[in-house]
Amino acid sequence: MFGIHESKRLSAYHHRQLSPPESQRVARHLAGCPRCQRELDEIRFGAELAGKLRPVPAPDSLWEEIEGALDRRPATVPETGARWRWLVPAAAAATVVAAISAWWLYARVDPGWQVVRLEGSPVVGSSRIGEGARLAVGEWLETDASSRARISVGLIGQVAVEPNTRLRLAAARRREHRLELARGTLRAKIWAPPRLFLVETPAALAVDLGCVYTLHVDDNGAGLLHVLSGRVLLEDKGRESIVPGGAMCRMRPGAGPGTPFFADAPERLRTALARFDFDGGGAAAVAVVIGEARPRDTLTVWHLLSRVDGAARETVYDRLAALAPVPRGLTRGAVLRLEHEALARWKEELEWTW
Amino acid sequence: MDRRRKMGQCAVMAEAVGGKLGGDRFMSGRGVGEEVVEACRRGDREAFRLLFEAYKDRVYSIALYYFNGDEASARDASQQVFLKLLTGMNSFRGRAEFSTWLYRLVANVCIDRHRSGRALVFLDDLASRRELVERTSPEEDHLRRQVEQSVQAEVARLRPKLRLPILLRYFEGLSYQEIAQVMNCSAGTVASRLNRGHKMLATKLAHLRGVLVRGG
Repeated sequence: MFGIHESKRLSAYHHRQLSPPESQRVARHLAGCPRCQRELDEIRFGAELAGKLRPVPAPDSLWEEIEGALDRRPATVPETGARWRWLVPAAAAATVVAAISAWWLYARVDPGWQVVRLEGSPVVGSSRIGEGARLAVGEWLETDASSRARISVGLIGQVAVEPNTRLRLAAARRREHRLELARGTLRAKIWAPPRLFLVETPAALAVDLGCVYTLHVDDNGAGLLHVLSGRVLLEDKGRESIVPGGAMCRMRPGAGPGTPFFADAPERLRTALARFDFDGGGAAAVAVVIGEARPRDTLTVWHLLSRVDGAARETVYDRLAALAPVPRGLTRGAVLRLEHEALARWKEELEWTW
Repeated sequence: MDRRRKMGQCAVMAEAVGGKLGGDRFMSGRGVGEEVVEACRRGDREAFRLLFEAYKDRVYSIALYYFNGDEASARDASQQVFLKLLTGMNSFRGRAEFSTWLYRLVANVCIDRHRSGRALVFLDDLASRRELVERTSPEEDHLRRQVEQSVQAEVARLRPKLRLPILLRYFEGLSYQEIAQVMNCSAGTVASRLNRGHKMLATKLAHLRGVLVRGG
Protein backbone atom coordinates (compact mmCIF):
# COMPACT_ATOMS: atom_id res chain seq x y z
CA MET A 1 0.00 0.00 0.00
CA PHE A 2 2.80 2.43 0.88
CA GLY A 3 5.52 0.90 -1.32
CA ILE A 4 8.89 0.26 0.25
CA HIS A 5 9.18 1.81 3.66
CA GLU A 6 11.88 4.41 4.22
CA SER A 7 12.83 3.35 7.75
CA LYS A 8 16.55 3.06 7.05
CA ARG A 9 16.86 6.56 5.65
CA LEU A 10 14.97 8.45 8.32
CA SER A 11 18.00 9.54 10.35
CA ALA A 12 19.66 10.77 7.18
CA TYR A 13 16.43 12.56 6.27
CA HIS A 14 16.23 14.12 9.72
CA HIS A 15 19.85 15.27 9.53
CA ARG A 16 19.41 16.57 5.96
CA GLN A 17 22.02 14.19 4.66
CA LEU A 18 20.06 13.04 1.63
CA SER A 19 20.25 14.55 -1.83
CA PRO A 20 17.30 16.80 -2.74
CA PRO A 21 15.61 14.12 -4.92
CA GLU A 22 16.09 11.48 -2.19
CA SER A 23 14.80 13.82 0.44
CA GLN A 24 11.73 14.65 -1.66
CA ARG A 25 11.06 10.95 -2.18
CA VAL A 26 11.19 10.27 1.55
CA ALA A 27 8.97 13.29 2.23
CA ARG A 28 6.39 12.03 -0.27
CA HIS A 29 6.44 8.59 1.31
CA LEU A 30 6.10 10.03 4.80
CA ALA A 31 3.05 12.02 3.81
CA GLY A 32 1.13 8.80 3.24
CA CYS A 33 2.72 6.34 5.63
CA PRO A 34 1.75 6.53 9.31
CA ARG A 35 4.27 3.80 10.21
CA CYS A 36 7.22 5.76 8.86
CA GLN A 37 5.86 8.94 10.45
CA ARG A 38 5.92 7.19 13.81
CA GLU A 39 9.42 5.95 13.18
CA LEU A 40 10.53 9.45 12.24
CA ASP A 41 9.07 10.68 15.50
CA GLU A 42 11.19 8.07 17.33
CA ILE A 43 14.28 9.09 15.38
CA ARG A 44 13.70 12.75 16.18
CA PHE A 45 13.29 11.98 19.85
CA GLY A 46 16.45 9.83 19.82
CA ALA A 47 18.32 12.65 18.08
CA GLU A 48 17.03 15.15 20.63
CA LEU A 49 18.33 12.91 23.38
CA ALA A 50 21.71 12.46 21.70
CA GLY A 51 21.84 16.23 21.40
CA LYS A 52 21.97 16.36 25.19
CA LEU A 53 25.48 14.88 25.17
CA ARG A 54 27.93 17.48 26.28
CA PRO A 55 31.71 17.58 25.85
CA VAL A 56 33.98 17.21 28.82
CA PRO A 57 37.09 19.40 29.08
CA ALA A 58 40.36 17.48 28.90
CA PRO A 59 42.33 17.46 32.16
CA ASP A 60 44.72 20.35 32.55
CA SER A 61 47.64 17.98 32.92
CA LEU A 62 47.16 16.24 29.57
CA TRP A 63 49.62 18.46 27.72
CA GLU A 64 52.28 18.00 30.39
CA GLU A 65 51.83 14.25 30.12
CA ILE A 66 52.24 14.36 26.36
CA GLU A 67 55.20 16.70 26.59
CA GLY A 68 56.76 14.44 29.18
CA ALA A 69 56.37 11.48 26.86
CA LEU A 70 57.90 13.48 24.03
CA ASP A 71 60.84 14.55 26.19
CA ARG A 72 61.54 11.08 27.44
CA ARG A 73 61.51 9.50 24.02
CA PRO A 74 62.46 12.18 21.53
CA ALA A 75 63.48 9.79 18.82
CA THR A 76 60.81 7.14 19.09
CA VAL A 77 57.40 8.09 20.17
CA PRO A 78 55.91 5.35 22.32
CA GLU A 79 53.05 3.35 20.92
CA THR A 80 51.14 3.67 24.12
CA GLY A 81 50.94 6.21 26.87
CA ALA A 82 53.57 4.39 28.89
CA ARG A 83 53.70 7.01 31.59
CA TRP A 84 50.12 6.33 32.45
CA ARG A 85 50.13 2.58 32.30
CA TRP A 86 50.26 2.50 36.05
CA LEU A 87 46.89 4.15 36.01
CA VAL A 88 45.22 1.02 34.69
CA PRO A 89 45.81 -1.10 37.80
CA ALA A 90 45.28 1.99 39.93
CA ALA A 91 41.97 2.64 38.23
CA ALA A 92 41.06 -1.02 38.62
CA ALA A 93 41.64 -0.67 42.35
CA ALA A 94 39.59 2.52 42.33
CA THR A 95 36.81 0.62 40.58
CA VAL A 96 36.73 -1.95 43.35
CA VAL A 97 36.54 0.81 45.95
CA ALA A 98 33.80 2.53 43.94
CA ALA A 99 31.87 -0.72 43.62
CA ILE A 100 31.99 -1.24 47.38
CA SER A 101 30.86 2.36 47.91
CA ALA A 102 28.06 1.90 45.40
CA TRP A 103 26.93 -1.26 47.16
CA TRP A 104 26.94 0.57 50.48
CA LEU A 105 24.90 3.40 49.00
CA TYR A 106 22.51 0.95 47.42
CA ALA A 107 22.02 -1.11 50.54
CA ARG A 108 21.63 1.64 53.06
CA VAL A 109 18.37 3.35 53.77
CA ASP A 110 18.24 7.01 52.81
CA PRO A 111 17.74 9.33 55.81
CA GLY A 112 14.78 10.95 54.10
CA TRP A 113 13.80 13.41 51.41
CA GLN A 114 14.18 17.15 51.43
CA VAL A 115 10.92 19.00 51.83
CA VAL A 116 10.25 22.70 51.42
CA ARG A 117 7.28 24.86 52.27
CA LEU A 118 5.61 26.52 49.28
CA GLU A 119 2.68 28.18 51.05
CA GLY A 120 1.08 28.31 54.48
CA SER A 121 2.26 26.04 57.28
CA PRO A 122 2.64 22.43 56.19
CA VAL A 123 3.85 20.10 58.94
CA VAL A 124 6.00 17.01 59.13
CA GLY A 125 4.90 15.00 62.13
CA SER A 126 3.91 17.78 64.47
CA SER A 127 6.57 20.26 63.40
CA ARG A 128 6.23 23.05 60.91
CA ILE A 129 8.49 22.73 57.90
CA GLY A 130 11.50 24.95 58.33
CA GLU A 131 14.86 25.50 56.70
CA GLY A 132 16.53 22.24 55.58
CA ALA A 133 13.55 20.10 56.63
CA ARG A 134 13.47 16.44 55.69
CA LEU A 135 10.74 13.87 55.53
CA ALA A 136 12.04 10.72 57.15
CA VAL A 137 10.83 7.20 56.40
CA GLY A 138 7.62 6.59 58.33
CA GLU A 139 6.88 10.29 58.88
CA TRP A 140 3.65 11.97 57.76
CA LEU A 141 3.50 15.27 55.92
CA GLU A 142 0.25 17.21 56.15
CA THR A 143 -1.03 20.35 54.50
CA ASP A 144 -4.14 22.26 55.51
CA ALA A 145 -6.49 24.21 53.27
CA SER A 146 -3.99 27.03 52.82
CA SER A 147 -0.64 25.27 52.69
CA ARG A 148 1.45 23.53 50.07
CA ALA A 149 4.84 21.84 50.07
CA ARG A 150 7.32 20.33 47.70
CA ILE A 151 9.27 17.12 48.20
CA SER A 152 12.48 16.21 46.40
CA VAL A 153 12.17 12.52 45.65
CA GLY A 154 15.78 11.56 46.23
CA LEU A 155 17.50 12.45 42.98
CA ILE A 156 14.76 11.22 40.66
CA GLY A 157 12.04 13.82 40.74
CA GLN A 158 9.77 16.15 42.64
CA VAL A 159 6.35 15.96 44.18
CA ALA A 160 4.19 19.00 44.83
CA VAL A 161 1.86 18.44 47.76
CA GLU A 162 -1.38 20.37 47.37
CA PRO A 163 -3.68 21.68 50.18
CA ASN A 164 -5.56 19.26 52.44
CA THR A 165 -3.19 16.41 51.80
CA ARG A 166 -1.81 13.77 54.10
CA LEU A 167 1.00 11.53 52.93
CA ARG A 168 3.76 9.39 54.40
CA LEU A 169 7.21 8.44 53.20
CA ALA A 170 7.03 4.65 53.12
CA ALA A 171 10.44 3.80 51.65
CA ALA A 172 13.46 5.74 50.46
CA ARG A 173 15.90 3.36 48.87
CA ARG A 174 17.79 3.74 45.64
CA ARG A 175 15.58 1.13 44.00
CA GLU A 176 12.35 1.99 45.74
CA HIS A 177 10.98 5.47 46.32
CA ARG A 178 7.56 4.97 47.86
CA LEU A 179 4.95 7.36 49.23
CA GLU A 180 1.62 6.55 50.83
CA LEU A 181 -1.12 9.02 49.92
CA ALA A 182 -3.91 8.78 52.49
CA ARG A 183 -5.88 11.75 51.13
CA GLY A 184 -5.42 14.89 49.12
CA THR A 185 -3.58 15.69 45.93
CA LEU A 186 -0.02 15.33 44.76
CA ARG A 187 1.59 16.29 41.49
CA ALA A 188 4.59 14.17 40.59
CA LYS A 189 7.30 14.88 38.05
CA ILE A 190 9.66 11.93 37.78
CA TRP A 191 12.61 11.53 35.45
CA ALA A 192 13.92 8.20 36.68
CA PRO A 193 13.76 4.90 34.82
CA PRO A 194 10.40 3.15 35.19
CA ARG A 195 9.22 1.51 38.41
CA LEU A 196 11.43 3.39 40.85
CA PHE A 197 8.72 5.70 42.16
CA LEU A 198 5.55 4.27 43.70
CA VAL A 199 2.57 5.81 45.41
CA GLU A 200 0.27 3.67 47.56
CA THR A 201 -3.33 4.78 47.82
CA PRO A 202 -6.23 3.08 49.62
CA ALA A 203 -7.47 1.80 46.23
CA ALA A 204 -4.38 1.01 44.15
CA LEU A 205 -0.65 1.30 43.80
CA ALA A 206 0.54 3.85 41.23
CA VAL A 207 3.75 2.71 39.56
CA ASP A 208 5.60 5.44 37.72
CA LEU A 209 6.75 4.49 34.24
CA GLY A 210 8.51 7.83 33.71
CA CYS A 211 6.06 10.67 33.75
CA VAL A 212 4.27 13.72 35.03
CA TYR A 213 0.94 13.15 36.74
CA THR A 214 -1.60 14.28 39.30
CA LEU A 215 -3.07 11.88 41.82
CA HIS A 216 -6.03 12.72 44.02
CA VAL A 217 -7.50 10.66 46.86
CA ASP A 218 -10.73 11.74 48.56
CA ASP A 219 -11.76 11.19 52.18
CA ASN A 220 -13.34 7.83 51.29
CA GLY A 221 -10.14 6.57 49.72
CA ALA A 222 -11.44 6.82 46.15
CA GLY A 223 -8.88 8.17 43.74
CA LEU A 224 -8.42 9.81 40.39
CA LEU A 225 -5.18 9.70 38.40
CA HIS A 226 -4.53 12.14 35.57
CA VAL A 227 -1.34 11.53 33.60
CA LEU A 228 0.01 14.54 31.75
CA SER A 229 2.91 12.79 30.03
CA GLY A 230 4.64 9.43 30.08
CA ARG A 231 2.60 6.64 31.64
CA VAL A 232 1.58 5.19 34.96
CA LEU A 233 0.61 1.65 35.85
CA LEU A 234 -2.15 1.27 38.45
CA GLU A 235 -2.38 -2.09 40.10
CA ASP A 236 -4.29 -3.80 42.87
CA LYS A 237 -4.66 -7.51 43.54
CA GLY A 238 -3.64 -8.51 40.02
CA ARG A 239 -5.87 -5.96 38.30
CA GLU A 240 -3.88 -3.52 36.20
CA SER A 241 -4.62 -0.34 34.27
CA ILE A 242 -2.12 1.35 32.01
CA VAL A 243 -2.64 5.09 31.94
CA PRO A 244 -0.73 7.00 29.25
CA GLY A 245 -0.24 10.76 28.92
CA GLY A 246 -3.53 12.57 28.40
CA ALA A 247 -5.53 9.82 30.08
CA MET A 248 -7.22 9.42 33.46
CA CYS A 249 -8.29 6.55 35.65
CA ARG A 250 -10.56 6.32 38.66
CA MET A 251 -10.01 3.90 41.51
CA ARG A 252 -12.02 2.75 44.51
CA PRO A 253 -11.01 0.83 47.66
CA GLY A 254 -11.97 -2.78 47.23
CA ALA A 255 -12.57 -2.42 43.50
CA GLY A 256 -9.03 -1.34 42.58
CA PRO A 257 -8.23 0.65 39.46
CA GLY A 258 -11.04 1.32 37.02
CA THR A 259 -10.76 1.39 33.24
CA PRO A 260 -8.56 4.20 31.89
CA PHE A 261 -9.97 6.78 29.50
CA PHE A 262 -8.69 9.83 27.72
CA ALA A 263 -9.46 13.13 29.37
CA ASP A 264 -11.10 14.34 26.16
CA ALA A 265 -13.29 11.24 25.76
CA PRO A 266 -17.03 11.88 25.24
CA GLU A 267 -18.90 12.61 28.44
CA ARG A 268 -21.34 9.73 27.85
CA LEU A 269 -18.41 7.32 27.58
CA ARG A 270 -16.91 8.57 30.83
CA THR A 271 -20.18 8.38 32.73
CA ALA A 272 -20.99 4.91 31.46
CA LEU A 273 -17.48 3.76 32.29
CA ALA A 274 -17.85 4.91 35.90
CA ARG A 275 -21.12 2.96 36.11
CA PHE A 276 -19.45 -0.12 34.67
CA ASP A 277 -16.38 0.08 36.91
CA PHE A 278 -17.99 0.84 40.25
CA ASP A 279 -21.80 0.73 40.11
CA GLY A 280 -22.60 -2.60 38.49
CA GLY A 281 -23.43 -1.02 35.16
CA GLY A 282 -22.81 -4.33 33.37
CA ALA A 283 -23.46 -4.97 29.70
CA ALA A 284 -25.65 -1.90 29.27
CA ALA A 285 -22.86 0.41 30.38
CA VAL A 286 -20.35 -1.44 28.19
CA ALA A 287 -22.62 -0.99 25.20
CA VAL A 288 -22.63 2.78 25.73
CA VAL A 289 -18.85 2.87 26.19
CA ILE A 290 -18.03 1.00 23.01
CA GLY A 291 -20.72 2.83 21.10
CA GLU A 292 -19.20 6.18 22.02
CA ALA A 293 -15.58 5.10 21.56
CA ARG A 294 -13.48 6.99 19.03
CA PRO A 295 -10.39 5.43 17.38
CA ARG A 296 -8.23 6.91 20.13
CA ASP A 297 -10.40 5.27 22.77
CA THR A 298 -8.95 1.87 21.95
CA LEU A 299 -7.16 2.52 25.24
CA THR A 300 -10.46 2.02 27.03
CA VAL A 301 -11.82 -0.70 24.77
CA TRP A 302 -8.63 -2.79 24.96
CA HIS A 303 -8.78 -2.70 28.77
CA LEU A 304 -12.44 -3.77 28.66
CA LEU A 305 -11.55 -7.01 26.87
CA SER A 306 -10.30 -8.60 30.06
CA ARG A 307 -12.98 -7.04 32.27
CA VAL A 308 -16.01 -8.56 30.61
CA ASP A 309 -16.76 -12.12 29.62
CA GLY A 310 -18.95 -14.22 27.40
CA ALA A 311 -20.95 -12.44 24.74
CA ALA A 312 -19.93 -9.04 26.07
CA ARG A 313 -16.27 -9.86 25.40
CA GLU A 314 -17.10 -10.82 21.84
CA THR A 315 -18.91 -7.53 21.35
CA VAL A 316 -15.94 -5.62 22.76
CA TYR A 317 -13.58 -7.57 20.48
CA ASP A 318 -15.66 -6.74 17.41
CA ARG A 319 -15.72 -3.06 18.31
CA LEU A 320 -11.96 -2.99 18.91
CA ALA A 321 -11.34 -4.74 15.60
CA ALA A 322 -13.54 -2.14 13.90
CA LEU A 323 -11.60 0.74 15.50
CA ALA A 324 -8.13 -0.66 14.80
CA PRO A 325 -6.98 -3.45 12.51
CA VAL A 326 -6.26 -6.77 14.19
CA PRO A 327 -2.50 -7.39 13.93
CA ARG A 328 -1.57 -10.00 11.36
CA GLY A 329 -1.39 -13.49 12.84
CA LEU A 330 -3.53 -12.65 15.84
CA THR A 331 -6.57 -14.87 16.14
CA ARG A 332 -9.96 -13.97 17.54
CA GLY A 333 -9.85 -17.11 19.67
CA ALA A 334 -6.54 -16.20 21.30
CA VAL A 335 -7.81 -12.75 22.21
CA LEU A 336 -11.14 -14.02 23.54
CA ARG A 337 -9.25 -16.56 25.66
CA LEU A 338 -7.24 -13.60 26.98
CA GLU A 339 -3.96 -15.21 26.05
CA HIS A 340 -1.32 -12.92 27.47
CA GLU A 341 0.81 -12.82 24.34
CA ALA A 342 -2.15 -12.00 22.10
CA LEU A 343 -3.34 -9.16 24.32
CA ALA A 344 0.17 -7.78 24.69
CA ARG A 345 0.74 -7.85 20.95
CA TRP A 346 -2.45 -6.01 20.16
CA LYS A 347 -1.70 -3.47 22.85
CA GLU A 348 1.72 -2.93 21.35
CA GLU A 349 0.12 -2.03 18.03
CA LEU A 350 -2.49 0.19 19.64
CA GLU A 351 -0.10 2.06 21.88
CA TRP A 352 1.10 4.15 18.96
CA THR A 353 -2.25 5.89 18.98
CA TRP A 354 -2.55 6.37 22.75
CA MET B 1 42.03 29.14 36.09
CA ASP B 2 38.33 29.56 35.63
CA ARG B 3 37.16 26.73 33.39
CA ARG B 4 34.77 28.79 31.33
CA ARG B 5 37.29 31.48 30.63
CA LYS B 6 39.75 28.82 29.66
CA MET B 7 37.37 27.22 27.19
CA GLY B 8 36.73 30.61 25.67
CA GLN B 9 40.46 31.02 25.19
CA CYS B 10 40.59 27.65 23.50
CA ALA B 11 37.98 28.82 21.04
CA VAL B 12 39.99 31.91 20.26
CA MET B 13 43.09 29.78 19.90
CA ALA B 14 41.30 27.43 17.55
CA GLU B 15 40.46 30.36 15.34
CA ALA B 16 43.98 31.63 15.60
CA VAL B 17 45.34 28.41 14.17
CA GLY B 18 43.13 28.79 11.15
CA GLY B 19 40.09 26.78 12.14
CA LYS B 20 36.77 27.69 10.66
CA LEU B 21 34.02 27.80 13.21
CA GLY B 22 31.89 24.96 11.93
CA GLY B 23 31.44 22.51 14.77
CA ASP B 24 27.80 22.88 15.71
CA ARG B 25 28.26 21.58 19.24
CA PHE B 26 31.65 22.61 20.42
CA MET B 27 33.50 25.72 21.28
CA SER B 28 36.27 25.51 18.72
CA GLY B 29 36.33 25.17 14.98
CA ARG B 30 36.86 22.20 12.79
CA GLY B 31 40.07 21.95 10.89
CA VAL B 32 43.39 23.71 11.28
CA GLY B 33 45.34 25.83 8.88
CA GLU B 34 47.81 24.18 6.55
CA GLU B 35 50.61 26.31 7.95
CA VAL B 36 50.08 24.80 11.37
CA VAL B 37 50.07 21.28 9.98
CA GLU B 38 53.19 22.12 8.02
CA ALA B 39 54.89 23.53 11.12
CA CYS B 40 53.98 20.37 13.02
CA ARG B 41 55.57 18.30 10.27
CA ARG B 42 58.77 20.27 10.75
CA GLY B 43 58.69 19.37 14.44
CA ASP B 44 57.61 22.78 15.73
CA ARG B 45 56.40 22.04 19.21
CA GLU B 46 54.58 25.36 19.59
CA ALA B 47 52.53 24.58 16.49
CA PHE B 48 51.76 21.17 17.91
CA ARG B 49 50.65 22.81 21.12
CA LEU B 50 48.23 24.99 19.13
CA LEU B 51 46.89 21.96 17.37
CA PHE B 52 46.57 20.15 20.69
CA GLU B 53 44.65 23.05 22.21
CA ALA B 54 42.27 23.11 19.25
CA TYR B 55 41.37 19.45 19.50
CA LYS B 56 42.14 18.20 23.01
CA ASP B 57 38.66 18.54 24.49
CA ARG B 58 37.00 16.86 21.55
CA VAL B 59 39.46 13.99 21.47
CA TYR B 60 39.21 13.54 25.22
CA SER B 61 35.39 13.72 25.21
CA ILE B 62 35.04 11.07 22.53
CA ALA B 63 37.47 8.80 24.39
CA LEU B 64 35.78 9.40 27.73
CA TYR B 65 32.31 8.58 26.42
CA TYR B 66 33.69 5.68 24.42
CA PHE B 67 35.21 4.20 27.57
CA ASN B 68 32.06 4.65 29.61
CA GLY B 69 33.44 7.48 31.70
CA ASP B 70 36.72 5.79 32.61
CA GLU B 71 39.07 8.75 32.99
CA ALA B 72 42.28 6.74 33.07
CA SER B 73 41.50 5.05 29.77
CA ALA B 74 40.37 8.34 28.23
CA ARG B 75 43.59 10.09 29.27
CA ASP B 76 45.71 7.26 28.06
CA ALA B 77 43.86 7.07 24.74
CA SER B 78 44.03 10.87 24.25
CA GLN B 79 47.73 10.86 24.94
CA GLN B 80 48.20 8.03 22.50
CA VAL B 81 46.20 9.85 19.83
CA PHE B 82 48.29 13.00 20.04
CA LEU B 83 51.56 11.12 20.07
CA LYS B 84 50.47 9.14 17.03
CA LEU B 85 49.34 12.35 15.44
CA LEU B 86 52.73 13.91 15.88
CA THR B 87 54.68 10.95 14.58
CA GLY B 88 52.25 10.32 11.76
CA MET B 89 51.98 13.91 10.60
CA ASN B 90 54.03 13.18 7.52
CA SER B 91 51.48 10.66 6.36
CA PHE B 92 48.76 13.30 6.27
CA ARG B 93 48.73 14.46 2.66
CA GLY B 94 45.73 16.69 2.78
CA ARG B 95 43.58 14.31 0.77
CA ALA B 96 40.95 14.54 3.46
CA GLU B 97 40.26 17.29 5.94
CA PHE B 98 42.70 17.17 8.81
CA SER B 99 39.93 16.67 11.37
CA THR B 100 38.66 13.59 9.51
CA TRP B 101 42.12 12.10 9.63
CA LEU B 102 42.44 12.94 13.31
CA TYR B 103 39.11 11.34 14.19
CA ARG B 104 40.08 8.21 12.32
CA LEU B 105 43.10 8.07 14.63
CA VAL B 106 40.83 8.55 17.63
CA ALA B 107 38.47 5.82 16.42
CA ASN B 108 41.31 3.41 15.77
CA VAL B 109 42.92 4.01 19.15
CA CYS B 110 39.60 3.57 20.96
CA ILE B 111 38.68 0.45 19.02
CA ASP B 112 42.14 -1.07 19.51
CA ARG B 113 42.08 -0.43 23.24
CA HIS B 114 38.56 -1.79 23.48
CA ARG B 115 39.55 -4.96 21.61
CA SER B 116 42.60 -5.46 23.77
CA GLY B 117 40.33 -5.44 26.78
CA ARG B 118 42.22 -2.67 28.48
CA ALA B 119 39.22 -0.46 28.80
CA LEU B 120 37.67 -0.50 32.22
CA VAL B 121 33.93 -0.45 32.54
CA PHE B 122 33.42 2.38 34.96
CA LEU B 123 30.40 4.42 34.22
CA ASP B 124 30.70 7.61 36.13
CA ASP B 125 28.95 10.90 36.52
CA LEU B 126 30.47 12.77 33.62
CA ALA B 127 28.22 15.71 34.20
CA SER B 128 29.68 16.33 37.61
CA ARG B 129 33.07 16.89 36.04
CA ARG B 130 31.79 19.15 33.34
CA GLU B 131 31.48 22.83 33.77
CA LEU B 132 28.17 24.56 33.57
CA VAL B 133 28.19 26.69 30.48
CA GLU B 134 24.69 28.04 30.92
CA ARG B 135 23.46 29.63 34.10
CA THR B 136 20.09 28.21 35.10
CA SER B 137 18.07 27.85 38.26
CA PRO B 138 19.14 25.03 40.61
CA GLU B 139 15.94 23.14 39.77
CA GLU B 140 16.43 23.42 36.03
CA ASP B 141 20.06 22.58 36.41
CA HIS B 142 19.25 19.50 38.45
CA LEU B 143 16.69 18.35 35.90
CA ARG B 144 19.08 18.96 33.03
CA ARG B 145 21.80 16.99 34.76
CA GLN B 146 19.44 14.09 35.35
CA VAL B 147 18.50 14.00 31.68
CA GLU B 148 22.12 14.25 30.56
CA GLN B 149 23.21 11.50 32.91
CA SER B 150 20.47 9.22 31.62
CA VAL B 151 21.54 9.90 28.03
CA GLN B 152 25.20 9.35 28.88
CA ALA B 153 24.41 6.04 30.53
CA GLU B 154 22.39 4.81 27.55
CA VAL B 155 24.97 5.96 25.03
CA ALA B 156 27.57 4.08 27.05
CA ARG B 157 25.44 0.95 26.77
CA LEU B 158 25.24 1.13 22.97
CA ARG B 159 27.49 -1.24 21.11
CA PRO B 160 30.75 0.51 20.09
CA LYS B 161 29.85 0.45 16.40
CA LEU B 162 26.63 2.35 17.19
CA ARG B 163 28.21 4.55 19.86
CA LEU B 164 31.03 5.97 17.78
CA PRO B 165 28.87 7.47 15.00
CA ILE B 166 26.67 9.06 17.65
CA LEU B 167 29.70 10.68 19.30
CA LEU B 168 31.15 11.86 16.01
CA ARG B 169 27.84 13.25 14.88
CA TYR B 170 26.85 15.01 18.09
CA PHE B 171 30.22 16.15 19.39
CA GLU B 172 31.74 17.06 16.08
CA GLY B 173 28.78 17.65 13.81
CA LEU B 174 30.48 15.47 11.19
CA SER B 175 28.48 14.70 8.06
CA TYR B 176 27.56 11.10 7.32
CA GLN B 177 30.20 11.08 4.61
CA GLU B 178 32.86 12.29 7.05
CA ILE B 179 31.84 9.73 9.63
CA ALA B 180 32.04 7.09 6.91
CA GLN B 181 35.60 8.16 6.13
CA VAL B 182 36.54 8.05 9.81
CA MET B 183 35.02 4.63 10.31
CA ASN B 184 36.12 3.28 6.97
CA CYS B 185 32.64 2.25 5.91
CA SER B 186 29.94 3.53 3.57
CA ALA B 187 27.67 6.49 4.29
CA GLY B 188 24.78 4.05 4.07
CA THR B 189 26.25 2.02 6.91
CA VAL B 190 26.62 5.19 8.96
CA ALA B 191 22.99 6.08 8.26
CA SER B 192 21.88 2.64 9.31
CA ARG B 193 23.92 2.69 12.53
CA LEU B 194 22.72 6.14 13.48
CA ASN B 195 19.18 5.01 12.80
CA ARG B 196 19.59 2.10 15.17
CA GLY B 197 21.34 4.24 17.76
CA HIS B 198 18.59 6.85 17.69
CA LYS B 199 15.87 4.24 18.00
CA MET B 200 17.58 2.51 20.89
CA LEU B 201 17.97 5.79 22.76
CA ALA B 202 14.33 6.67 22.09
CA THR B 203 13.15 3.29 23.33
CA LYS B 204 15.33 3.09 26.42
CA LEU B 205 14.66 6.68 27.43
CA ALA B 206 10.99 6.88 26.46
CA HIS B 207 10.25 7.93 30.02
CA LEU B 208 12.04 11.25 29.38
CA ARG B 209 9.64 12.36 26.66
CA GLY B 210 7.55 14.41 29.02
CA VAL B 211 10.57 15.95 30.66
CA LEU B 212 12.11 17.05 27.36
CA VAL B 213 8.83 18.47 26.17
CA ARG B 214 8.83 20.62 29.29
CA GLY B 215 12.24 21.99 28.62
CA GLY B 216 14.39 19.42 30.40
